[in-house]
Amino acid sequence: MDPRRKRTPAGISGGRRAIMPVEKAKDIRYTLNRLWDFFKKEKIGLFTTFLLVLVSGVLGLLVPFFIGKAIDVIFPGPNLVEFGRLKLVLTLLLFVYILDGVITFLQEYIVAGIAQKVVHDIRKSLFSKLQSLPIVFFDTHTHGELMSRLTNDVDNISNTISQSTVQFMASVVNIIGSLIMMIRLSGLMTIASLITVPMVYFLTKTIAKKTKILFKEQQEALGLLNGHIEETIGGIHVVKAFNKEDKVVDEFIRQNHILKEIGVKAQIWSGFIMPLMNAINNFGFAIIAIFGGTLAVKDKISVGIITSFIFYSKQFTKPLNELASTFNTLQSGIAGAERVFELLDEEEERKDAEGAIPAIDIKGEVEFKSVSFQYEPDEPVLNNISFKVEPGTNVALVGATGAGKTTIVNLLTGFYEIEKGEILIDGINIKDYQKDSLRKIFGMVLQDTYLFSGTIEENIRYGRLDATYEEIEEAAKMSKAHDFISRLPMGYDTLLSEGGINLSQGQRQLIAISRAILANPSILILDEATSSVDTRTELKIQEAMAELMKGRTTFIIAHRLSTIREADIIMVIDNGQIVEKGNHSELIDKKGKYYNLYMSQFMNIGEVV
Amino acid sequence: MNGNTNYLKKYIKRYKKEFFIALTFLILEAMGDLIQPTIMSKIIDNGVKNKDMDYVFKLGKLMFLVTGLGAISAVIRNIVSSKVSQNFGADLREDLYIKIQSLSFENIDRFQDATLITRLTNDVNQIQNFAHGMMRVFVKAPVLGIGAIVMTFLLDIKMGFILLGIVPVVGIAILINLRISYPIFTRIQRALDKVNGVMREYLAGIRVVKAFNRFDYEESRFEGVNDNLRDVSLKGMRIVALFNPIVALIVNMGIVLILWVGGLRVNSGSLEVGKIMAFINYMTRLLFSFVMSTRILNMYIRAKASAERIGEVFNTENIIYTKERPLPFKDIRGKLEFNHVYFKYHDNSKYVLEDISFSVESGETLAIIGSTGSGKSTLINLIPRFYDPTKGIIKIDGIDIKDVDLHELRENIAIVPQKTLLFTGSIKENIKWGDENATQDEVEKVAKISKAHDFILSFNEGYDSYLGQGGVNLSGGQKQRIAIARALLKKPKILILDDSTSAVDMITEKEIRKGLKDYLKDTTTILIAQRITSVMDADKILVMDGGRIVGIGNHSELIDNSQVYRDIYRSQMGRGLEYIGS
Repeated sequence: MDPRRKRTPAGISGGRRAIMPVEKAKDIRYTLNRLWDFFKKEKIGLFTTFLLVLVSGVLGLLVPFFIGKAIDVIFPGPNLVEFGRLKLVLTLLLFVYILDGVITFLQEYIVAGIAQKVVHDIRKSLFSKLQSLPIVFFDTHTHGELMSRLTNDVDNISNTISQSTVQFMASVVNIIGSLIMMIRLSGLMTIASLITVPMVYFLTKTIAKKTKILFKEQQEALGLLNGHIEETIGGIHVVKAFNKEDKVVDEFIRQNHILKEIGVKAQIWSGFIMPLMNAINNFGFAIIAIFGGTLAVKDKISVGIITSFIFYSKQFTKPLNELASTFNTLQSGIAGAERVFELLDEEEERKDAEGAIPAIDIKGEVEFKSVSFQYEPDEPVLNNISFKVEPGTNVALVGATGAGKTTIVNLLTGFYEIEKGEILIDGINIKDYQKDSLRKIFGMVLQDTYLFSGTIEENIRYGRLDATYEEIEEAAKMSKAHDFISRLPMGYDTLLSEGGINLSQGQRQLIAISRAILANPSILILDEATSSVDTRTELKIQEAMAELMKGRTTFIIAHRLSTIREADIIMVIDNGQIVEKGNHSELIDKKGKYYNLYMSQFMNIGEVV
Repeated sequence: MNGNTNYLKKYIKRYKKEFFIALTFLILEAMGDLIQPTIMSKIIDNGVKNKDMDYVFKLGKLMFLVTGLGAISAVIRNIVSSKVSQNFGADLREDLYIKIQSLSFENIDRFQDATLITRLTNDVNQIQNFAHGMMRVFVKAPVLGIGAIVMTFLLDIKMGFILLGIVPVVGIAILINLRISYPIFTRIQRALDKVNGVMREYLAGIRVVKAFNRFDYEESRFEGVNDNLRDVSLKGMRIVALFNPIVALIVNMGIVLILWVGGLRVNSGSLEVGKIMAFINYMTRLLFSFVMSTRILNMYIRAKASAERIGEVFNTENIIYTKERPLPFKDIRGKLEFNHVYFKYHDNSKYVLEDISFSVESGETLAIIGSTGSGKSTLINLIPRFYDPTKGIIKIDGIDIKDVDLHELRENIAIVPQKTLLFTGSIKENIKWGDENATQDEVEKVAKISKAHDFILSFNEGYDSYLGQGGVNLSGGQKQRIAIARALLKKPKILILDDSTSAVDMITEKEIRKGLKDYLKDTTTILIAQRITSVMDADKILVMDGGRIVGIGNHSELIDNSQVYRDIYRSQMGRGLEYIGS
């Protein structure tokens, strides 16, 4: 008996995957071709594996043969056993067993290597791909979705494709080999032992048809229930505030009941396969016993052949039964691979145009010429925007959430691709600059300051890799971050955890400003925080930003009156258009949108003072 | 935390009968499997040896019978076990959900939403699968293993010892394997976590990476963890690859041994050849039982961890509850008083609120301003008893809120939380959370006040528009406005607005505030805001800093005597004061 066939976890997989319907791959041939690109580096290993599977398959077929032979030697009974022959047969059997063990080990050893290397490479190319994708892509895909592709799907490829391919090959070798051996030993017995094959086929087909529908329904019910759980537990504060515990519990009980009803049915139907298959196997065993016994009584075959047949029929039917599930696993692996390749096929960021020039010594003149942008067709976010600002100008962008302020900034920095119109910096279209050099001219301090895990020093250094320690400290001093950093026990070596969560919002922003100062950009993009950090830090941030803005073209997504009023130019954005432009007093005199905005927010100041 | 799994007893008791029925049929099923090789050996040794055709057919029929009975047992067992496990899982899920809904916020904070959700989904599933597995193969595997040994002993005692001798050898091999592979898998898991960590960080910081052109740096960082994962997995998988062939080899050597000893014994006349065939067959069943047992062990470890995690929830004591004989709390006016209130989240942590005392008259508006972390949200969470103060008393209309029925207390208070949360369902259904019996007119009235009516009507389905999970198809400002309508519909005596217009543009915010003023003449309003312009016209403003009240009064009073308030004002308005004043 070869233990390798026992390795498939028949029906006992944990977690949600156990009740998932089989996923269908869309275009198998294409995906396999793509996969081959990753696997072909391991050609030698794959070829060796294939050879080993073949050899081990043949060895597996020799085992029943030798056992049958041994039984035949023993069968004559007392004092008639030829020990010389028995010794020979058993030595050969032992040799086959050991060789098979060694080969199985080698084969698994090699497969493990191939699988891990391939997955490593896939992960690596996925990551490189991420690097070249435009920001729009990240804005339109959730992190959860991307993470699941980078982890689950890639792992799936490693586990299923390498393992089930080997299993598939082994199955084929076994089916063909044992069939040949059986026919060679006895044609009549072969027919007798194959009677169960159509039974198995019929059984699995009927059950699969039934369970396919049930699993789908179960998955839907589970999805609804999980949705309800996530909503009402994530929102338990609201549930309690509105005294709605009973309401959500009732709903839960209802959906849980639906899930259970379907679950019982699905479980019962899918649960039939294993035991009924077992029963069919036992049935086959009985047939071999009766049929073989009858033939042996008539001296048509030897008892050894019956023994061999018991093994061969198992080696024939078992992989045949598993072929379907192996194929399903392979398919879900390929479906996972498809999702991975989908990501690899995403449209990349625009490459540098031919003859692109490096953006150096930029003065900071910015011009938008009839720029439009939309995420979805017919839903323009920006509509025909035109303006020009001289170097060193402070521009405040004012408008409601969703008016298009952030989009202007994203287009300017090249995070988003313009669809219509052009943007010029120092009179040259930004498409004509080398992208890498273009990004270097911008410094950004965004509202949600992102710091990486690492030390504070490393995070500031992110602005300019070759900066000296003195320069880092100098930048931190300018941004007023130095004070609090030097008060930390580890100072600049303080380790920030993922997302930098152990610093306050304001402190993180100060570090981000230091980073921007160190990068010494020609054009600054500032997004003012709406949530107030503690007042003293807030004042520091404003001072630091003012320091940073000196002599640079600056675009500020502004929320504070002070910032807005001190800007050289205020642009009021509404519905993707610039509705007003000018400095504070000009716009107030105009008594338009800005005036209304200003008065609605600040009108009661007059009363107070 | 206490992960006692005693709670499972209840379900064991409930399903004991069905469980044992399933087990009985499972054992019958296994016995059917086990008898087959013995009958087979009889056919060879008595039928074939003596050329007795009738005997062959007689026993052949017996084999069919046994197969049939085995199949019937399997079918019954499958139906019973499926029902038991699904019912058990559903019961457990339901009880756990009800328990979670009854937990106080302090408990929920301790568990965190996400882990409660996984406990309710993954962990319950894990236990349910284990329960089902137990009635399917988990019990069958050892029964088959022990049965195989017993059957061998029944056929021949000496050969039985060969089978029995294999058991400890394979057992040791399995133990060694567990000892080696467990730490390897933890190492692989850790390496995988690192890869995921870098990836997650990269996704979250993608703008910064792009802004600073730090592709090479990120690439090398990822390469480092990715290479490490490959190396660790490679080493681990290769060691594990050794295990399966070794176990197989041990069992296979047993088969060779049986054939050799069997040959000797047949030659001496003390054994029949058919029995040898049966022994070999039992040997393979023993191997199956071994392979299965290791898997069961893994499943058990996982299910046990899940059971303990669920136990932690069940064993949590609820600390916020209604007193036994609550005071009547009808027709209240909404006068709110804090009396030297202190609060901290954990026994040994710092006070988040210290010595908070103030009062608001019925119908007044109280605004709270202060920096993040100054304790504003904590303060309002004490009013509907989401948390209880560590020290001090909170009174509504002069009654200690701990002395009234919790349900009635919350019935009189409405909150618009900082993070807007809407539920799957139509817009109307969402607003009606405030009052299930409200008419369409009432719903529209509050929607008009919260400036939601117009945009709701702009949707094709109007108030019947369906919101996906979390109301994803609305903008932040729109969600906030629906949440305000929902709270207004409740006609609360006390309305709490926790920075709930942050995503609404300034003009609309102004209009909403004006509408609220008219609608809520008798309602006490408590308002947390970030913008100083939102708090300026409140009857009373609390300025908070570091968990204490550092200023209290109306706008002009605070401008005169609160340094913190002036700082906030200056930071937001700059020189606005002088400008407008001049």
